[in-house]
Amino acid sequence: MYGATVDPIEDIRSDEEKLAEFEARIARGEKIEPGDWMPEEYRRQLIRMISQHAHSEVVGMLPEGAFITRAPNLRRKLILIAKVQDEGGHGQYLYHAAETLGATREEMLEALLSGKAKYSSIFNYPTLSWADMGAIGWLVDGAAILNQTMLAKCSYGPYARAMVRICAEENFHRRQGQDIVITLALGTPEQKAMMQDSINRWWWPTLMMFGPHDTDSPNSAVLIRWGIKTKTNDELRQSFVDQTAPELMALGLTIPDPNLYYDETSGHWHFGEIDWDEFWNVVKGNGPCNAERMATRRQAHEDGLWVREAMAAYAEKDQS
Amino acid sequence: MTDTQWPRYMVLHQEQDNKPHQHAGTVHAPDAEMALLNARDVFVRRPDCVSLWVVRADLIFTRTQEELALHPDWLGNIQAAGVPTEIYYVFAKRTQKGQFSHVGEVEAENPAHALKMALQQYPAVDGLVWWVFPAKAVLKSTPDDIEAMFAPAAVKDFRDQANFHALSVLRKLMRKQETSNEP
Repeated sequence: MYGATVDPIEDIRSDEEKLAEFEARIARGEKIEPGDWMPEEYRRQLIRMISQHAHSEVVGMLPEGAFITRAPNLRRKLILIAKVQDEGGHGQYLYHAAETLGATREEMLEALLSGKAKYSSIFNYPTLSWADMGAIGWLVDGAAILNQTMLAKCSYGPYARAMVRICAEENFHRRQGQDIVITLALGTPEQKAMMQDSINRWWWPTLMMFGPHDTDSPNSAVLIRWGIKTKTNDELRQSFVDQTAPELMALGLTIPDPNLYYDETSGHWHFGEIDWDEFWNVVKGNGPCNAERMATRRQAHEDGLWVREAMAAYAEKDQS
Repeated sequence: MTDTQWPRYMVLHQEQDNKPHQHAGTVHAPDAEMALLNARDVFVRRPDCVSLWVVRADLIFTRTQEELALHPDWLGNIQAAGVPTEIYYVFAKRTQKGQFSHVGEVEAENPAHALKMALQQYPAVDGLVWWVFPAKAVLKSTPDDIEAMFAPAAVKDFRDQANFHALSVLRKLMRKQETSNEP
């Protein structure tokens, strides 16, 4: 809620009436705003999604942050710093959106730091070379943009507005990633090999980012019904492959999927089956970097304690 | 864990001098001064800001169109009591996909009265959601802050996707491939 301080207006409608009206509003393309009636399940699903999304932005700073000191030149370093800073900002926009639903930032941070909350599994894979900055920007952010462009149209006003802002900034992230990939792919044989190795490692985890198949995605139906999502996981994944595969191949890079081919009849790229055992294993916390990411986040939170204390002391002194 | 649950401040952001302030989001801070600094870091990484306002979120009085429609008498029952008035800022979200933006000011005795005044004073504004808050509760950046707070973003042109030519390179390569694939 945005701080409502004066006597709240009582809603005398029955639950059935409220739900029918809520669903009619969504069907008309209206945005639900804090203060409007919404089903508890809508609120719960949104808090779950938005806070996971916020955590992903925050944890997402780590894999790339590791390469700021190793950027090949000053311009690339400035770009990478700017990008990582954007991710931190995106986390803030999203925590704000979740707060409008009654979640507190403290609860959400606690859930992340205690390991209770989930974040995108992609950030549990390690960054091993500079080429990974290109693969993350192009593949990972490219995949995220597809999801976020959809969410910019979602039925909950504050989430949609945060997404509009994020999408505008993410396009820079994807472009700088493509710029790195192009430079390496068209560079020396060593550079091209480094880029290929990176694509080999990031391609499948990126496809996993879209989540389980629609048939195995328990939340999908209700999320689509209430206009939170407008496309299914599989639809978004297919769009990503259709868009990205031919572009990577035009650069002379190969995609690590022997079953990938363009299907003339459907007009789509056919691709092989994802290793779902790997997916669930990483979701459950057993990915290559789960423990390291959480340890780094906790350390960062502890290291920031003196700043929070200093700010509180300054505010207190100012008031006295 | 130390309590990080500082008050929320709503951040209102102006892109150009001739445009209204718009809602950007919120920050947490122990006081308004630090809220303004946080707001700059969180919301002004791109060169599109000439003025920032922050106001404590719990001082914003808000009603949605749905809430007002449910109880048409509610506003009618609000009467001026003859106590001193103050200036309130009025913000509204006017379109479904839109953002909250600055509508104007009213003079009122209390928040609910300010909303009533706003609806009377701005009948042409079809607000889907209304916000009113006391003008004196707002901390604003000043023209002197522009150089320090907002100007640095202007030289970071690499944050603009238009400064990357990846797309045109890719298109060219793909066209080349298509032509070479033709028999």
